[in-house]
Amino acid sequence: MVAAAEPLQKISMRGSRRRNEEAWLGLAFVIPIIAIMGGLVFLPVVGTLLDSLYRIDPMRAGTPFVGLGNYAATFADANVRQAWFNTLVYVVIAVALQAVGGLGAALLLNKIQRGRRWLLAVLVLPWCLPPVVNALVWLWIYNPSYGLLNGVLQALGLIDTNRVWFNDRTTALFLIALVHVWRMLPLTAIILLAALQSIPKELYEAARLDGAGPIRAFRSITLPLISGGIAIALSQSTVFAFNLFDEAWILAGTSLDTRTVIIQVYMSAFQNLKFSFGMALSVLAMIASLLVSLVYVLKVYRETRYE
Amino acid sequence: MSRRSLSRIAGQVGTAAAVLLLLVWSLGPVFWALVTSLTPPADLLSRELRLWPANPSLEHYAKLFGATSSSQGNAVQSVWPQFSAAFVNSLVTSLASTVITVALAAFGAYAFVRLRFPGRELLFVLVVATLAIPAYTVMIPLYRLMISLKLIDTYVGVTLIYVSAFLPLALWLMRSVYQAMPISLEEAAWLDGAGRTYTLMRIVLPLAAPGLIASAILTFLSAWGQFMVPLVFSPTLATKPLTVLIPEFVTRNYVDYGLMNAAGILAIVPPVLLVLFLNRFLVSGLMAGATK
Repeated sequence: MVAAAEPLQKISMRGSRRRNEEAWLGLAFVIPIIAIMGGLVFLPVVGTLLDSLYRIDPMRAGTPFVGLGNYAATFADANVRQAWFNTLVYVVIAVALQAVGGLGAALLLNKIQRGRRWLLAVLVLPWCLPPVVNALVWLWIYNPSYGLLNGVLQALGLIDTNRVWFNDRTTALFLIALVHVWRMLPLTAIILLAALQSIPKELYEAARLDGAGPIRAFRSITLPLISGGIAIALSQSTVFAFNLFDEAWILAGTSLDTRTVIIQVYMSAFQNLKFSFGMALSVLAMIASLLVSLVYVLKVYRETRYE
Repeated sequence: MSRRSLSRIAGQVGTAAAVLLLLVWSLGPVFWALVTSLTPPADLLSRELRLWPANPSLEHYAKLFGATSSSQGNAVQSVWPQFSAAFVNSLVTSLASTVITVALAAFGAYAFVRLRFPGRELLFVLVVATLAIPAYTVMIPLYRLMISLKLIDTYVGVTLIYVSAFLPLALWLMRSVYQAMPISLEEAAWLDGAGRTYTLMRIVLPLAAPGLIASAILTFLSAWGQFMVPLVFSPTLATKPLTVLIPEFVTRNYVDYGLMNAAGILAIVPPVLLVLFLNRFLVSGLMAGATK
């Protein structure tokens, strides 16, 4: 009895030692990740949440607890309200244009056989360039005196005199959103292209044999089968448009007409040194951004849960 | 019959028009920046619309590279010391954060997929969830933290922030790469007595090379294009990258669109090279990162 038990115990001990080793190795591999993400993301997030409840302002003595005072102050601030509205306009324009343009580009690339690799490279190029450089290139295109936009529109006879595009608020918002769309459309197109390529070709053949035209096939096969991809693409473009900073900052700086929430956070914290006000606003922006990206997060959660 | 061939021709014309539209949309602004950078300063201020400069000149580039420089007839300080320093800063911070991010993701994602350790699922979900946390939410506490650590305006500080920002996506991508890999190869190596680490280094990582390259490209491009982080954390030329320096050509010292476009063209050379030569990995990485 005792003699028989011993080897069994040995085996299970060896097994548990191996599992122990595995656990230690696993921990060793992720400890740098825990350190970096913990120190530079999780702690600062907690810090933001806590500090937004105090008055932290290098210009004023003391850091008294003010509860939700900073949050109330952001709601009372007319500039902040304007920034929220601008951000909303950017999101609507960017998501709409990217959905339509991205779907068009994805359908085109899915159809094309010859030279697809090169067309794909052309498509993704704007996404790969530094957003600041993009914005500067477009700033020159929008230049009121010597810009390409005025030049082309005059050559086409659509306008007779040069326009100062950023004098008009609606135009300015649209032109800034357009630069953002130029950069982000490739991502939408790539996500939708991946979805399109997962549709089995046989479905289209079956539809054709049943006498369905291309429009009918698009509506009853393509659209339903890429709806998952569309959801991801839409939430991605929403989050990115929501966090728009570079384009608006380069093209119009601190102008109230085009200022986004993130620009407002940057100005409050790093130009006016109202740290806790900036933190409260950034928490609100994070919550709003999290809510709109919930689709994406839920998908991640669903995928990781079953293991 | 003729109606069908007509509609086919119409379809082909439509496709060709769509391709042309995509080419003009994607490449037009970049082409225009190139044209501007090659146009002599005087011609930039002409009303005439030209798709290629009448007398192309490298004057703007000479201004960037020259020891002396002039702006509107006045001798001004050369921009080369600033430009070269910023270029080096961009390269150092982008390459360093790419190497560290990819290395951490290569080992970390392997642990998340193949090694059982306590808290594995929770940690992974937490790290990936930070993809949804915008960078600016952590910016202010991070700024105070970096000041207390004396890491403002240092390569170490900027690189660490980049790594913390780009690591979640790289982990996500590498995890999907390892998950797609059959475990039988590793099991065969273990049966032959190879250790875990040896198997990972010699068998798994070489097979994961396309995924590693994709993560490296995505990380490099994100770091190379960063603007808001260095705007706060790189106030001087000690670490200031091109993305922060180039806008200053227009807003502060000069109003010099030619110089700005020339600098912009040089700043997009690394991303353009990546797109030209490694586009396959980039697109597959984007597809895996965005849809998995």
